[in-house]
Amino acid sequence: MSHETWQEQLRRGSLDLAILLSVSSGPRYGLAIIQHLEAFTDLVVTEGTIYPILARLTRDGLLDATWVEDEAPHPRKYYRLTRAGARRLEHMKREWRAFADKITRLIDAAESTAHATH
Amino acid sequence: MQLTDTGESRVNGYLFILERSLKTFLPPDLVRDVVREIESHLRERIVAADGAPNERVALETILGELGPPLRVAQAYSAERIVDEAVVTGRIAAVLSALWHVGARTVVGFCVALGVSVGYTAGWAFLVVAIMKPIFPRNVGLWADDVTGMPHRLGMEFPAPAGEHDMAGYWIIPVCLVIGILIVRSTHRWARRFLSRWRERRALAPTGRFVA
Repeated sequence: MSHETWQEQLRRGSLDLAILLSVSSGPRYGLAIIQHLEAFTDLVVTEGTIYPILARLTRDGLLDATWVEDEAPHPRKYYRLTRAGARRLEHMKREWRAFADKITRLIDAAESTAHATH
Repeated sequence: MQLTDTGESRVNGYLFILERSLKTFLPPDLVRDVVREIESHLRERIVAADGAPNERVALETILGELGPPLRVAQAYSAERIVDEAVVTGRIAAVLSALWHVGARTVVGFCVALGVSVGYTAGWAFLVVAIMKPIFPRNVGLWADDVTGMPHRLGMEFPAPAGEHDMAGYWIIPVCLVIGILIVRSTHRWARRFLSRWRERRALAPTGRFVA
């Protein structure tokens, strides 16, 4: 597997979590979610791929979508976390931290072994 | 950035292609919702753009960042078809989703092929079980009269000379059980694959579709 493929898989696997996190502090519309993700990560490479994921998360009952007509010259579709979405997010955060901790421990162990050998 | 008529035509053309592509698999109310959301995204980006170095370049940058309309439509298609298969588990939905995945990835193609073989084999056993009471002399496990070795299972019109059916009516329960087992395991395997594919998915942030 090439380095790019691995990075791509990492990005792909974490996109649902990133989107749920970006609406966890309050409702956001599509472009605001994209801009939030762009500000903190490099997860969004093609903006158009975010909207189908938002649609799926809404179908799955993790997000709730509402059109707001009078806020801007163009209507905006706001997404907010549902109760089920909040529960899923908590679970995903726990899983992510546990996973990251394990990999970090593995890296530390490999590096300390390498240092001891040299 | 304020769009000229040319710029407006470009945006409308993008939305027209997107709408036409989405109409092939989404209900009209959902198509309207998706197009409205994508238009809202584009208008917002256009208002925020400074129009440098010129309108055409600025607009193409915005559209390029959003991705080609067919690609965006495909992303909705991938999401929806696979979702339906995983959630409902209907055979038609599973086959449609496998066809969709199989047309896009090598792994998906191999799985779709394997699942097709599984379903065909399972249904073949079930058809044998169903046809036996209707054509008792033509359906069976055919064995050679001389050697007594079975070498064929199925329907023969007319009944083959020099061969006899060695299973009799036992072929009905046996084929029913085998057929149901094969169809059920194939279906379960296909749903599991689609479920995993759905999780690992396809909506690559690079805009490409990979398994």
